[in-house]
Amino acid sequence: MVILLLGVCIWAAGTGALAISPEAIFAMICKKIGMDTGIIFTEQQENVFWIIRLSRVAMALLIGATLAVCGAAMQGLFRNPLADPALIGISTSASATTVLMIVLGARLFSGFQSLLGQYSLNVSTFAGALLATLLVYRIAQQKGKTNVSIMLLAGIAVNALAGALTSFVTLSANDQQLRSVTFWMMGSLGGANWTNVAGISPFCIACIAGMPFLSRQLNAFSLGESDAAYLGIRVERLKNTIMILCAMGVGASVAVSGVIGFVGLVVPHIVRMIIGPEHKKLIIGSALSGAILLVLADLVSRTIAGPIEIPIGIITALGGGPFFLYLLLKEKSKSIM
Amino acid sequence: MLKISNIGFRIRGRNLLQDINIVVRTGTFTAVMGANGAGKSTLLKILSGDIRPSAGTVSWNGQDLGSYPVGELSRKRAVLRQQYNILLPFRAREIIEMGRYPHFSGKLTTHCKNVIKEVAAYVGVEGMMERNYLTLSGGEQQRVQLARVLVQVWDAPPGEKLIMLDEPVSALDIHYQHQLMALVKTLTENSFTVIAVLHDLNLAMQYADDVLLLKKGRSVAFGDKYSVMNEEAIRTTFDVAAMIHYPAAYGYPFITVNGQINNKQTEQSDNYVDSNHFFEGKI
Repeated sequence: MVILLLGVCIWAAGTGALAISPEAIFAMICKKIGMDTGIIFTEQQENVFWIIRLSRVAMALLIGATLAVCGAAMQGLFRNPLADPALIGISTSASATTVLMIVLGARLFSGFQSLLGQYSLNVSTFAGALLATLLVYRIAQQKGKTNVSIMLLAGIAVNALAGALTSFVTLSANDQQLRSVTFWMMGSLGGANWTNVAGISPFCIACIAGMPFLSRQLNAFSLGESDAAYLGIRVERLKNTIMILCAMGVGASVAVSGVIGFVGLVVPHIVRMIIGPEHKKLIIGSALSGAILLVLADLVSRTIAGPIEIPIGIITALGGGPFFLYLLLKEKSKSIM
Repeated sequence: MLKISNIGFRIRGRNLLQDINIVVRTGTFTAVMGANGAGKSTLLKILSGDIRPSAGTVSWNGQDLGSYPVGELSRKRAVLRQQYNILLPFRAREIIEMGRYPHFSGKLTTHCKNVIKEVAAYVGVEGMMERNYLTLSGGEQQRVQLARVLVQVWDAPPGEKLIMLDEPVSALDIHYQHQLMALVKTLTENSFTVIAVLHDLNLAMQYADDVLLLKKGRSVAFGDKYSVMNEEAIRTTFDVAAMIHYPAAYGYPFITVNGQINNKQTEQSDNYVDSNHFFEGKI
């Protein structure tokens, strides 16, 4: 799987308006670490590779892995394979605060092309994501426990509220802002550069690296909340940790790429079908497949109709929407039997 | 021994439990019985540490239950519920392994594997270890869950193994009910202490040692099943007329329920004598 991921990355990095062969990529990497391979490549290729392509692939990789890991963890937390960060309003709330930040904050930071600007976007999306999580969580608290169905319904309400806020802020934006908001909301990795890769990587890596340590607790959690507690697991702490990690990872992803739907839903599902529901394998498998999927989806988004770029959110929604319907139909037929 | 002193539980001005005093002897099977809403499940939740009582104390082998470290308690006390709502397609083995989570970090130890093997044979689930839990029948699922609960406390010191069962057989057919209860009964011979919420009077009569009868959050009677399970106590607890039979061929008495009785009679304790006469006349 790791090899597949590497292969996909090299393929994606080499494909585009300017083609770069795998050998040339190999040679460029060797050159960076001070080795001469004798394979010829142009300076233009080198610049495109290091500055444009690689940062973009790195971003797709980080975001894909983060979204998939968060999806897997959320599904474990809700003990329901249909859960997704977008479902309880994390993604939309994060995007609402980001739009707010783009429209209001542009004056404060004069653009977001600095690392500081990127962090400020991150912080605002994280704040939005965490706010949504906390709100939904508080509403769903019942006698010191979380009621999952209320939580899901609260998620719907939060989604609606965040959507309304986004629309309202969009109304008051000027033309320039409107363009960037609209494009950003469709979900795109077009804005990738090393600055925002550096901006999101601490959050994403914390999320990807942290989740596997919670896998055993998540396994026990699937028995039921009180049953996990009988097994000596601090259930409330587990829930808090997962929510904060997810808010962080999803928040950072949304900050740079907008809402990329269905990765968090589809990827863990497919992985679960292949290697089973045990969370350690599931989370690691999801991280790798999520990265592969998003690198490929991004490749499709920028080459299929080139030179025009189709927002990646459209690609994942096109694939994910029908898959979600298929899952619902499967659930339905199961409950009839 | 599990000592329950003056337990009360109050929520939103309603007393769900009041003045419960019982002692669960080590190595016995204690059945908790009562009508719906009598407080059985609340009591079990307090005993398992799920909720804290508003009044009174629970001590397990001399130590207050609330002061047990989470990890230690989870190696000595396990809980089996009536039904599990699992949606993820775990294998039976994976479910049972979860019972060992309090005992290892990282990889399953050889000792844990041995315990799982032993318990799987004991409960009779060796044949379904690799099967998808979701495809098992209700009775098989409940046996897998029992195996998970047992591996959790299997190697605790003798006299410190506590198993709580909340209506463990209510969702099972008669065959599985008796299979599971017989299994639980043999546990007490292996130094397990068992507390179970039961609905079936005859299951309690056949398998339990002690019985606690609850009505509206209060204890009606507690003690040895033969002394507690009499016609009068059953009538008080469930508002039904019951008869106890002592057939020579069985090792235990069995109870038949003759139907509902007039509420007026049960609420005034003076009427017990009258209603006893009524039943004698009927026999």
